[in-house]
Amino acid sequence: MIDIKGLCKDFGDLKVLKNIDLHIDKGERVVIIGPSGSGKSTLLRCMNLLETPTSGKVIFEGTDLTDIRTDLDKVRCKMGMVFQQFNLFPHKTILENMTLAPKYHKLMSDAEAKETAMRLLTRIGLADKANVYPSTLSGGQKQRVAIVRALAMGPDVMLFDEPTSALDPEMVGEVLELIKELADDGMTMAIVTHEMGFAREVGTRVLFMDEGEIAAENEPKAFFDKPENPRLKDFLSKVL
Amino acid sequence: MQKLFESIKQGFIKTFIRDNRYKVFVQGFRNTVVITIAAAVIGILIGVIVSLIHSLADNARNKKSHTPGAVLITALDKLCAAYVAVMRGTPLAIQLMIMTFIVMGGFPNKVLVCCIAFGVNSGAYVSEVIRGGIASVDIGQTEAGRSLGLSELGTLRLIVLPQAIKNILPALCNEGIAVLKETSICGLISVVDLTRAGDLIRSRTMSPYFTLISVAVVYFILVFGLSKAVKKLERRLAQSDRH
Repeated sequence: MIDIKGLCKDFGDLKVLKNIDLHIDKGERVVIIGPSGSGKSTLLRCMNLLETPTSGKVIFEGTDLTDIRTDLDKVRCKMGMVFQQFNLFPHKTILENMTLAPKYHKLMSDAEAKETAMRLLTRIGLADKANVYPSTLSGGQKQRVAIVRALAMGPDVMLFDEPTSALDPEMVGEVLELIKELADDGMTMAIVTHEMGFAREVGTRVLFMDEGEIAAENEPKAFFDKPENPRLKDFLSKVL
Repeated sequence: MQKLFESIKQGFIKTFIRDNRYKVFVQGFRNTVVITIAAAVIGILIGVIVSLIHSLADNARNKKSHTPGAVLITALDKLCAAYVAVMRGTPLAIQLMIMTFIVMGGFPNKVLVCCIAFGVNSGAYVSEVIRGGIASVDIGQTEAGRSLGLSELGTLRLIVLPQAIKNILPALCNEGIAVLKETSICGLISVVDLTRAGDLIRSRTMSPYFTLISVAVVYFILVFGLSKAVKKLERRLAQSDRH
């Protein structure tokens, strides 16, 4: 589904990503962990080209996103993204937040967009918040709305950029729970996170990034129980 | 006390009533209002275009894009930067005279010349105001918009500008007030605005107090009313942030 080939990203003299190759299959849930500054968020943001790679290719469902002729806006409709800071639109109600993009792309009529939004809000138990503004919601509620806002577009893959890092501890659970539900539905995902328990539980594959490279990858059990890479061992000993 | 009243009454009659002098004030007032509104509209139009070009050029720079479109927009942006620098770096009075006697030399409608000169000048300031307003909106908002497949302009229009407007509006109001006050130099090119009208009457009646104070009061009421109206609008715009 996503094919990354020889991906490099420089910020000035700083090489953030060094020649990354990564393939994500449909239905896979790839969790990316690593120390801060290791390039994991940048890698995720290169997947939908929020960050323009310095070199290399990102191919999604057969389309080369780094080709300047590619209509990125169209491709991004199929790639949902969830941010650390939620990034709900504060000047729109919850319902408007959810219907804005589907209406913009004319994917649905106004009525259908509203119906889809209400169905998704009901699913996360926030239907009664449809007509309020984001500022009245708790962090956990905001992030759950952000997740279903992305889902309203009917994406084929969801990218999560540290979805729980900005949350108060008591709200982390509800957000992770929702992501797990999506996982159970078979959604393809790439998740950058610091929640090791969650990574282990929800991931089908875990990547360890260090200094702009994928230093280790494995299925979760072996990844956490029998780490071989010394840098990964060191990292896990600090966070677990 | 009675003497004071009597002198005020005489001043009023001399300044406004005799020889239908109020008509000069009405004409001046009308010109001031027309020039201010037209200049504000022109200024906002130019300001929006200039800041839009700047915003797009910024994006092209960040992406290190070298498409023909990116090159064009970058060149346009440089042109706009020069325009802003010149408008801010030279006195408005000189700009007005250059517009009247060089750029639009011989153009008969001097009120229109004023509208354009003030509008072109104001556009530079408005573009800076809008640029600041756009920059004040969190970059995450743009990223969220783009990640939902909104185009660059769509994100700007639907996501960024509606939020930026809260920061833009107060500054824009100040700019409008500045334009209103700046139009008082219209007399330089013999356009009868409010100030010029007052000056004409003063030279006739030889009593500066009544005319000039009256003119100042009219300006004050206009400016004060304008600030009040925008404060109200600001409060309404802020509502989505509060509840």
